[in-house]
Amino acid sequence: MDKRVASESGVSVETLSVSYGARTAVDAVSLAIPKGKITVLAGPNGCGKSTLLRAIRRLHPAKSGRVLLDGLETGRLREKEIAREIGLLGQSPSAPEDMRVEELVRLGRFPHQAMMQPWSAEDATAIEDAMFGTGIGHLRDRRLGSLSGGQLQRVWIAMVLAQETDVICLDEPVNHLDMAHQIDCLDLVSRLNRERGRTVVLVLHDLNLAARYADLLVFMKEGRIVEAGLPRDLMREDLIASVFGIQCRVIEDPVHERPLCIPMRNSSPRFRPVE
Amino acid sequence: MSSAALGMSRESFARDRARAVIVLLALLGAAAALLLGSTAFGSTWIPLDRIFAVLVGSGERTDQLIVLQLRLPRVLLSALAGGAIAISGYMLQKVTRNDLASPSVLGVVDGAALGVVIFLACLSDESNALVTSIAWQPVAAAAGAVTAVVLVFALSGSQASSAVRLLLFGIAVAAAAKAATMVLMLIGPIYRTTQAARWIAGAVNETNWNEVQLTALLLAPALLAALLLARQLPPADLDEISARSVGLNLPAFRPLVFALAATLTAIAVAFAGGVSFVGLLAPHMARLLVGRSVSAGIIASLLCGAAMLMGADLVVRVLFAPTEVPAGTVTAVIGAPYFLYLLLRKDQIHG
Repeated sequence: MDKRVASESGVSVETLSVSYGARTAVDAVSLAIPKGKITVLAGPNGCGKSTLLRAIRRLHPAKSGRVLLDGLETGRLREKEIAREIGLLGQSPSAPEDMRVEELVRLGRFPHQAMMQPWSAEDATAIEDAMFGTGIGHLRDRRLGSLSGGQLQRVWIAMVLAQETDVICLDEPVNHLDMAHQIDCLDLVSRLNRERGRTVVLVLHDLNLAARYADLLVFMKEGRIVEAGLPRDLMREDLIASVFGIQCRVIEDPVHERPLCIPMRNSSPRFRPVE
Repeated sequence: MSSAALGMSRESFARDRARAVIVLLALLGAAAALLLGSTAFGSTWIPLDRIFAVLVGSGERTDQLIVLQLRLPRVLLSALAGGAIAISGYMLQKVTRNDLASPSVLGVVDGAALGVVIFLACLSDESNALVTSIAWQPVAAAAGAVTAVVLVFALSGSQASSAVRLLLFGIAVAAAAKAATMVLMLIGPIYRTTQAARWIAGAVNETNWNEVQLTALLLAPALLAALLLARQLPPADLDEISARSVGLNLPAFRPLVFALAATLTAIAVAFAGGVSFVGLLAPHMARLLVGRSVSAGIIASLLCGAAMLMGADLVVRVLFAPTEVPAGTVTAVIGAPYFLYLLLRKDQIHG
């Protein structure tokens, strides 16, 4: 039975609220996430961006509102069904150190496997494809504990890719990586987005990385969306000051022709200098 | 290159599978040997050919009596109880990602012990004789086990989906049950204390065929359920968010596994008594032997647990004859140092 109620494409979040006990983490947020594009959620700590990302994947129950995926209400999907539509990589994923790289990537096929169904040719193709796409084919027999941080992050991304979902959510995927691996990882994500048309939703801390990779940039503060639009339109000194509480200068990145923010002074300093 | 790599990988997975099959066959062989050996050894040695003769229906009357009435029931009950507790421990360790999880921390074993002690205390008359049949003791054990588990789940309420909370409530209930058991044993007459202590330590002597049949009958569906659940368990190796994002709803799934583990344990301890250490140790050995594969791990746990308890019972019969020392004592005496060894070794790998 077709559960799709409308013909819109992409993910649309409709007046979604999520709360932890009494605290409202996401407050009546509405957002249209375009299909085949990279959407980046940014904002200060505790603004609700990670909660929103997890709520899109239904890892948090919605207090009110709903999430539609190509017009399909995700609340109605079964656990494995939604896992075939939306993949998510959390901030600090963990797996046993003695697990092999390929074993982890294979777990991405879990939602595609029925109760008694053996490993299929389709599954094999999907994991080959995911490992090839992330460039980790040569690591397949290595134990996870023997990998570097950058390699490990690629393996996790490969697991999510192997799920073959149209939408991929990554929660601060470059947090623990050094600069070279941050660029490496986000270039990989952006390539997967371009070449395979996957819809990508990222939570990023680094505003300049956000501006560099986003098609749609979303600023959040205190559980609400302040503004969403092109990086060029959002990277304004006054807006950044009001969202992030920091005075800055915005210039153009001469290499990527994207706005670049140079932070100057905290506009509401938490640590006042001793006079 | 891609297809060559594919071939290579299949090879390494096939190697793992072949290894698991060989290990499982070896374990099966060891368990079968222990089963026969345990039947042969005892106060009198009965050679294997005479055991086979009894099994096919011939053989001398004394051999028939010893094999069929005295030895085989206790050996089979050890195997069933040890296997069930081991599987219970395996599944608990899997869904909590904690190697120290075991049936006893759910409060099941201590709850059952309290049930037994209350039964002995309340249903004895002035002269310390039971006013009812001792056959009700397993029912009391099962009732105690079920009560403890229900209490653990009721107390954790909405937090039952969290592994840590559930284990903490389990430990609290276990401690309370243990304290109550101690008090009842201390204020009770000496006869009751001995009787209860035997059960608590895990004794499989004086087992009869009805007990074996009933245990097997109850265990069969629980084992089937465990093997079916096993198909859903592989993502449980990951953190909660990753497991959920590949489609295993761990918070919803965990209480199910806990309930099944509690059921398996309650069935096992009802007749065999508190043989809990097997539930901690056998799953460790199983994982060491067959790796992460869940189905192989469950079967290996079953065989390891069965072999451990049969072996322990054999040891007490050979070493302490004619005194009947509970088999659970041996699993603890052998198990504790082995467990320490495992922990220390693991530290070195990570260190």
